[in-house]
Amino acid sequence: MSGPVLVVVERRGRDPVRSSLEAIGAARNLAGGTGLVAVLLGSDLEPAARIVASLGASKVITVPDRRFDTFHAALWAGAVVSMAQELLVSTIVVAGTTNGRQLTGRLAARWGAAAVSGVTEIASTPEGVLVALRPIFSGRAIQEVRLEGPRRVVGLRPNAFPEPDASGPVGTVEEHPVPELGSTPALGQRIAFEGAAAGAGPDLAEATVIVSGGRGLKAPENFRLLEELAASLGGAVGASRAVTDSGWKPTSYQIGQTGRTVSPQLYIAVGISGAIQHLVGMISSRTIVAINSDPNAPIFKVADYGVVGDLFQIVPALTAEIRKVRGI
Amino acid sequence: MEILVLVKPVPDPETRLRPNAAGTGLDTEGVKWVLAGYDESAVEQALLLKEAIAGSHVRAVAFGPAPRTEEILRSALALGCDAATWAEASGEQALDPLLAAQALAQACSTGPVELVLVGKQALDDEAGLVGPAVAERLGIADYGPVVDLRWDVSAGQFTFARAIEGGLERMTAPAPMLVCLQQAWNDPRTAKLQNVLKARRTAIDRAPALSAPSAPEAAASSARISGFRLPPPRTGAKMIEYKTPQEAAEKLVRLLRDEAKTLP
Ligand SMILES: Cc1cc2nc3c(=O)[nH]c(=O)nc-3n(C[C@H](O)[C@H](O)[C@H](O)COP(=O)(O)OP(=O)(O)OC[C@H]3O[C@@H](n4cnc5c(N)ncnc54)[C@H](O)[C@@H]3O)c2cc1C
Repeated sequence: MSGPVLVVVERRGRDPVRSSLEAIGAARNLAGGTGLVAVLLGSDLEPAARIVASLGASKVITVPDRRFDTFHAALWAGAVVSMAQELLVSTIVVAGTTNGRQLTGRLAARWGAAAVSGVTEIASTPEGVLVALRPIFSGRAIQEVRLEGPRRVVGLRPNAFPEPDASGPVGTVEEHPVPELGSTPALGQRIAFEGAAAGAGPDLAEATVIVSGGRGLKAPENFRLLEELAASLGGAVGASRAVTDSGWKPTSYQIGQTGRTVSPQLYIAVGISGAIQHLVGMISSRTIVAINSDPNAPIFKVADYGVVGDLFQIVPALTAEIRKVRGI
Repeated sequence: MEILVLVKPVPDPETRLRPNAAGTGLDTEGVKWVLAGYDESAVEQALLLKEAIAGSHVRAVAFGPAPRTEEILRSALALGCDAATWAEASGEQALDPLLAAQALAQACSTGPVELVLVGKQALDDEAGLVGPAVAERLGIADYGPVVDLRWDVSAGQFTFARAIEGGLERMTAPAPMLVCLQQAWNDPRTAKLQNVLKARRTAIDRAPALSAPSAPEAAASSARISGFRLPPPRTGAKMIEYKTPQEAAEKLVRLLRDEAKTLP
């Protein structure tokens, strides 16, 4: 590979999002000796830039302009491609956030690059060809894609790459004037943000642990048990459609074919039977645990570990045990 | 308003997946191709807008080989789309999302572009590259993943929400724009038999042939699919034997920590 690798870093508040740190980790391996450049767009970038510089980026470029504070794929793609051209970049790595997924295809079309998205593993051959693996068909198959050209855009899946550690030299932070954006289309406006309840823990897409509840919970107030278990693991709570259809939890909790697709390190299915429409949304999770009173529940066919029993007894015991071993 | 909705034929979700002989893709022998997943939501959203906006018109646009692409355009017509455009391609070309975007953008720009709807990703390759790449080629803004899209007549703009991490980002935007739709929070309708019959007789417009990219352009943007395999089958859960809930919890935590190594 010839030119440096560029990572687009996104923030929530003042901090880089976890998926972007994972992207730095993945890009660090790809960059080797060619250099790793991180780009941050928006206002008040300094704190996040310092963090990124300590994690292996040889250079962190900040482009301070409030126009980037709302994500517009058209605007971001314009700026990132300009930077990539100026820095003679060979590869752009984008985190698998909702913004990142919106950016990947747009960047590729604008830059005239090859692209691959939803990547869970990637390596460079000695000839500089990138070979990426990506789950497709809801995790029922794995596709291998080779990117051979001089320009490539790589979109990652969240939770697939480790966060980098802060060993090694600290990179430089440079402020860059807003690059030439080219013609930009008419853009919309953000008018409000309806956040999930404060203190609700990480978002499903980014959570490394998800505790998910089904009809077996029997009543909405019983989700407190799952919230406590999730909190003991620093995780998020999800639900089956039986739960969201009953109005026990909002639709945004729903995992499955008509809900969210998640791939955490650990997925704990509690009182969920394991209908195919649910499984497609969580089957690529690294480890799956099922807690169900029915030994014949289909969820046990896809789980790694199963506990047959009454969730109202098992879940509190599990929460207590995890608090004990994690010292909380 | 002219509403364009981009659709792609995908294998029926119930299909048993098998690699082809070369191990590079799905063995498509006997596969039933359908309009499904996010594309179905996109068509439903197009039809809801059509019902809400007087004098609007929905055109379905697809890229891909015969006969499956023509068939799913007929499905879209049977659901209530007014017209359809087919950009024909080989089965091989249909696997390339950026080539698809180029052809679809070309097919869209034969008429006025005000609103383009597309599923946030296809049910099969889950690439999610086509929508944003079409928007770039058309030189219009794109938003996704979007729910709750409406046209505000008095303000002459769209209102919608992006389902992003941590909540919903409410936005307004003018035409023209492209929207990548989140899952069916709408319940897609099914086609009535009389419309299925009518759709069989509707003429499908053909998009002009894709102008061939220059050799360096083609080389630069080429991603080659070199492998397709099935993950090792899940063999069923290791069941935890226990006498008390505490014992179950202890055993499970030990396995997660020492064997799976996924306990944070
Ligand atoms: C087009 C379509 C799309 C769909 N999309 C989705 C989707 O996106 N997501 C989704 O989840 N579903 C979806 N479904 C619905 C799906 O088919 C199932 O109906 C649903 O997943 C069932 O939810 P559940 O497992 O919570 O409930 P159930 O199937 O009723 O299972 C409840 C489970 O709880 C167990 N249980 C009961 N009491 C206890 C106890 N005390 N302790 C331990 N276990 C207990 C039972 O043994 C049972 O296995 C879809 C269906 C269709 C047709």
